[in-house]
Amino acid sequence: MNDLDFKRDKEIAKDFLTNFADPNGEAKYINILQDVANRKTKAIQIELEDLINYKDLDEEFLRRVTENTRRYIGVFANSIDELLPEPTEVLLDDDHDILMTQRAEETTENGGGSDPQKKMPPEIKRFYEVYIKASSKGRPFTIREVKASYIGQLVRISGIVTRCSDVKPLMQVAVYTCEECGFEIYQEVTARIYMPLFDCPSEQCKVNHAKGNLIPQLRASKFLKFQEAKIQELAEHVPKGHIPRTMTVHFRGELTRKVAPGDIVELSGIFLPIPYTGFRAMRAGLIADTYLEAMSVTHFKKRYEEYELRGDEEEQIARLAEDGDIYNKLARSLAPEIFGHEDVKKALLLLLVGAPHRKLKDGMKIRGDIHICLMGDPGVAKSQLLKHIINVAPRGVYTTGKGSSGVGLTAAVQKDPVTNEMVLEGGALVLADMGICAIDEFDKMDESDRTSIHEVMEQQTVSIAKAGITTSLNARTAVLAAANPAWGRYDLRRTPAENINLPPALLSRFDLLWLILDRADMDTDLEMARHVLHVHQAKESPDLGFTPLEPSVLRAYISAARKLSPAVPRELEEYIASAYSSIRQEEAKSNTPHSYTTVRTLLSILRISAALARLRFSEYVAQSDVDEALRLMQMSKFSLYSDDRQRSGLDAISDIYSILRDEAARTNRMDVSYAHALNWISRKGYSEAQLKECLEEYAALNVWQIHPNTFDIRFIDA
Amino acid sequence: MVGLPYDCLANPLGAVRLTFEKAVASGSDPATLDGKDWGAAELFRQFLFDDDGLSQVPMLNQSTIKWVQPNTLVRFRGMIQDMLGNEYYVGAYKDGNMWRTNKFADTSRSPMDASSDMRIWERRLLYCVPIPGQNSWVESSHEAVRNPYTNSISPQREKRQREDDATMADVDMVEPGHDLEDSPNPKKMREDGMALEPLGLQKIAAEGNLSTLSLVPDAERNSLPCLVKIYDSTESDLKLNDVFEFVGIFTFDPDFTVDRDDNDELADNFCEDTLVCLPPTKVPRLHCVVHRKLAGADFLSGPQLELTPCVIKEVREALLGHLTAVLGNDRVAAQYMLLHLLSRVHARIDSIAVGKLSLNLTCFNKESISVFGNHLKLAMENLLPFTQCLPLTVDYLNTVSLAPKKDYHTNRLESGVLQLAEGTHLTIDETSLQTGTLNSVGCENARVLKNMMDSQKVEYDFTYYKMEMAADVQLLILSEGKSNILPADLVLPLRPSSVDSALGVDGEMLKAWRWYLATMKSLPHSIEPHMQKAVEDDLVAARQADRSLGSQDFSRWLTMGRLMSVSFGETCLSMEHWQMVRELERLRKERLLGNM
Repeated sequence: MNDLDFKRDKEIAKDFLTNFADPNGEAKYINILQDVANRKTKAIQIELEDLINYKDLDEEFLRRVTENTRRYIGVFANSIDELLPEPTEVLLDDDHDILMTQRAEETTENGGGSDPQKKMPPEIKRFYEVYIKASSKGRPFTIREVKASYIGQLVRISGIVTRCSDVKPLMQVAVYTCEECGFEIYQEVTARIYMPLFDCPSEQCKVNHAKGNLIPQLRASKFLKFQEAKIQELAEHVPKGHIPRTMTVHFRGELTRKVAPGDIVELSGIFLPIPYTGFRAMRAGLIADTYLEAMSVTHFKKRYEEYELRGDEEEQIARLAEDGDIYNKLARSLAPEIFGHEDVKKALLLLLVGAPHRKLKDGMKIRGDIHICLMGDPGVAKSQLLKHIINVAPRGVYTTGKGSSGVGLTAAVQKDPVTNEMVLEGGALVLADMGICAIDEFDKMDESDRTSIHEVMEQQTVSIAKAGITTSLNARTAVLAAANPAWGRYDLRRTPAENINLPPALLSRFDLLWLILDRADMDTDLEMARHVLHVHQAKESPDLGFTPLEPSVLRAYISAARKLSPAVPRELEEYIASAYSSIRQEEAKSNTPHSYTTVRTLLSILRISAALARLRFSEYVAQSDVDEALRLMQMSKFSLYSDDRQRSGLDAISDIYSILRDEAARTNRMDVSYAHALNWISRKGYSEAQLKECLEEYAALNVWQIHPNTFDIRFIDA
Repeated sequence: MVGLPYDCLANPLGAVRLTFEKAVASGSDPATLDGKDWGAAELFRQFLFDDDGLSQVPMLNQSTIKWVQPNTLVRFRGMIQDMLGNEYYVGAYKDGNMWRTNKFADTSRSPMDASSDMRIWERRLLYCVPIPGQNSWVESSHEAVRNPYTNSISPQREKRQREDDATMADVDMVEPGHDLEDSPNPKKMREDGMALEPLGLQKIAAEGNLSTLSLVPDAERNSLPCLVKIYDSTESDLKLNDVFEFVGIFTFDPDFTVDRDDNDELADNFCEDTLVCLPPTKVPRLHCVVHRKLAGADFLSGPQLELTPCVIKEVREALLGHLTAVLGNDRVAAQYMLLHLLSRVHARIDSIAVGKLSLNLTCFNKESISVFGNHLKLAMENLLPFTQCLPLTVDYLNTVSLAPKKDYHTNRLESGVLQLAEGTHLTIDETSLQTGTLNSVGCENARVLKNMMDSQKVEYDFTYYKMEMAADVQLLILSEGKSNILPADLVLPLRPSSVDSALGVDGEMLKAWRWYLATMKSLPHSIEPHMQKAVEDDLVAARQADRSLGSQDFSRWLTMGRLMSVSFGETCLSMEHWQMVRELERLRKERLLGNM
């Protein structure tokens, strides 16, 4: 491409900079330029997005900018030089300005330099930096995808920063003065290594054959901040059986000190080869190293709040939301390879969704995170469930009660090995702030962690007062714990309290507590045998009978649901209050209370109901939500105490009848829908089969009529 | 074909050039040839496989590197230990009016001026090491290629070289003085014998021996790693820890090595490229032309046995007899050992590795371990191509790095003990484990081992995250009691009744057994519907009778059933074999109960 084209492109660039208007009608770039002139900012970021949206978009120009970005930074800088307005504020002259005025005077004295070495390069006058930022539309590249064909182009990649160098000065323009003629000589530096000038190249010296000695002038030279970093592919982008790739990134000027090792970033930059110097260059430039000249840095945040929906996802979610059965469908899609445990999965789904945090006027905070504890025999896939949940959650930490490092679960003050200073290091719970912390082997937790976890689970902070550091860290995390029974296996001969190896103070903080037992049952045995056989034979998981939703869809749906904060309508308050008081009363009647129903329980009911409402994308909690919440709570209790119940007097069938009768009497109605009935009896721990048996038996006694199709119940008034 | 205009073996670059020029002449645009083969690989493939040239290609190892000539065709067998990413090079450039290529070469043959038209292509760098734990019989069984250059005085050889000479003059239009690093320059070679490059190499090879090759995983300091450069292959072909045979052009450039040290002062410590720590003096370069994945049977030598059912039975019986003798006349243990040796991961479903069968032999004490442990070790080494031993002590656990770890300072993946090729046998000796405290490294190592046991996966540490890599390693644990650190699929107390000190086995027999193990291992397997029903019923009945049985036990039985029928060379599970498995399990259970 010849110079003529660049001149034309410079005009296009000027036109764009002057005339581009953002959606508010403001001349975006002119405003930036004014700020630059007033020395308020140094960086001018030209967004390709703006170029695409520009009304007089020249497709060819856009292509040229993306494919030959480095050159076009120069083009833009040149046009900015011409466009730069006068400062509107009075500025104090600094060293740089004084130098510049002196230089300007000199140039005029000498009537302008025809000598190229004496001509001031434009870089030295500039006090701003130009960056071109790639369009943020579409998916960024992985490091692996950046191939030789992208050399020289603007690319956007994502990765994790693994190493960072110190910020060092990088010479951009070297300035010398000549001992003989006194001229200032400029040398532009474009590479990392340059050959300093020794002999004065000015006319005067050449004519006189003086071979003037050049003295480098550090104060007059222009330096840039320069930092190097390595980024590595993210684990999820590495194909199976491969090693993550790395790439060198150069940061200049204002972009330095923006990243630290461990940061997950999205970078846009120019993919460039490093010309080899010295001896290696003599190898005819056979092999080239490459690097990315960073143009913009964006930090990744993997939180629900910042989860951006992709176009097709929004549609998919809308379709899912219309589907009435979404609650079941989502629940089943959690860990689809784990058979059964529907209610546990529903509870885990609610844990993912959570309820909104409430902050009262007096500053009291009520947590919205739902804590769940899974307790059960070894080998019932507790750990798998935990790991799966962590996979689905955008921010999740999996740890074991014992397995976490010296920092433990909460936080610790540690001595930094390098500086010998005391530093505060967050543990798993702090790292999982605004996410989910799955703690396996909860019962084997360290004593010190166990005390501080009380605080984490209710106040959602970690307080520390050690080694002169007194602080409180946020730990707004939902705790998902898994624990083994006290004697390794659940001992049915002992009471649940004996089996559960955790203090009641800790237990009461869990909204739901599930016991997963490995029960003897011919059907499940057969199911298991079939499953194992199938796995061995077909070398794939058996058909699930439904297609589980992809974790990404699940994540998108949950993040959409989390945006809502449903309220409890006034008319439901009474209902919830009565439900709560009836639980309290039941407990008071029983001589062996299994649980301590406290205000915490009430809050749990509200939390679970709110989470259910969120799943329906509803702004209000409905009665069905509360019913389901009560059912889940009851089910979780019965998973613990079902054996007791069987010992207690009444046979199942008549018990179901009395439940339904009471319920109908309470609501003063003669009709009970089947779904309603099922909800009620399952809250008391009975199965659907038992309900059907009961319906038939009592229908034969003409106590009620059963609708032949819907199985709805109508009491025959006696 | 008589009188090929090039010699694939001695001057492969000539062949590359010739095909390139042919392709350009036939109208292909050099710019479009990136990542594509223009017929060179096809040519080599034909030479190697159709014309049986493979056996003439020398194997690159510690002993042959002393005489292998640069820019000739060699082959290298190794495991991919690390992937160094892509390297960009000037693939094609214009020299005057002629397009030239640098493919398969480290350096350009003629100077390129910066202004000339050039295309940047890329190639992949793989760091390969000799397969960890490779047994000596594998190496010796490679067809030993004699040094073809020692008898270069022979008339035939001379003639061929003259031919080369002539063709090179035809093909190359290289300015004189620039062909210093040219491929075997026949004239020079005849004049100075092997004086020029080989001398340098010899010295270098000796150097390589002396200096510590910290990058080589185990103590085999004299084994030779190799940097393989891969062209035109899809990423999914070559995976970490795969074992490959690479046939390619060996390059070595003494000039190139000298400047490295001088260059260091200029190079920023941070930005040094990874290749600096892999000087060609220690790590030869290989520009791969053809690569193929190696399976178990590729490591065996000799004619393939005809495996008729009758022969299989015989070999099986003999091998079982041998194992029984090794295990002190414990036939049950020998049966389990046989199944264990045949096991491999053949599918991964969710998080389960189907087909693994780790074995924990218990009831060892100080005396018996020294006898049987050594016998076992020897037997494994003789039977399997790759075996490793891991003496588990507290000190060892606290210091060793089992899982590979990424070192960001050198940008290399530091190998760990558990970076093993597919199908490696690992014996873990727990008998010398004493009580002690594990530090954080020890805990981590124990966890890595357990994870390997459970799911045949090793977590590679990338500091900022961990990546699980699938492994397929047969694990044998020797311990006093049931190992709690390493819960194996099978726990079996050993009941030796005699010590057979003389375990002489003749070579032919060993070869047959190796054949048997390698071939049977890869047999397919299925369960017929009627058998499936029978097995299903059997499983349910077993669980009804014993509640402690879980899906893991079922899975183990099915794996054993598979291995049992495979050990007879059959591909379908039969009732007979199923019953044998159940009977074996019954015997094992009895032993376990008797042991308590």
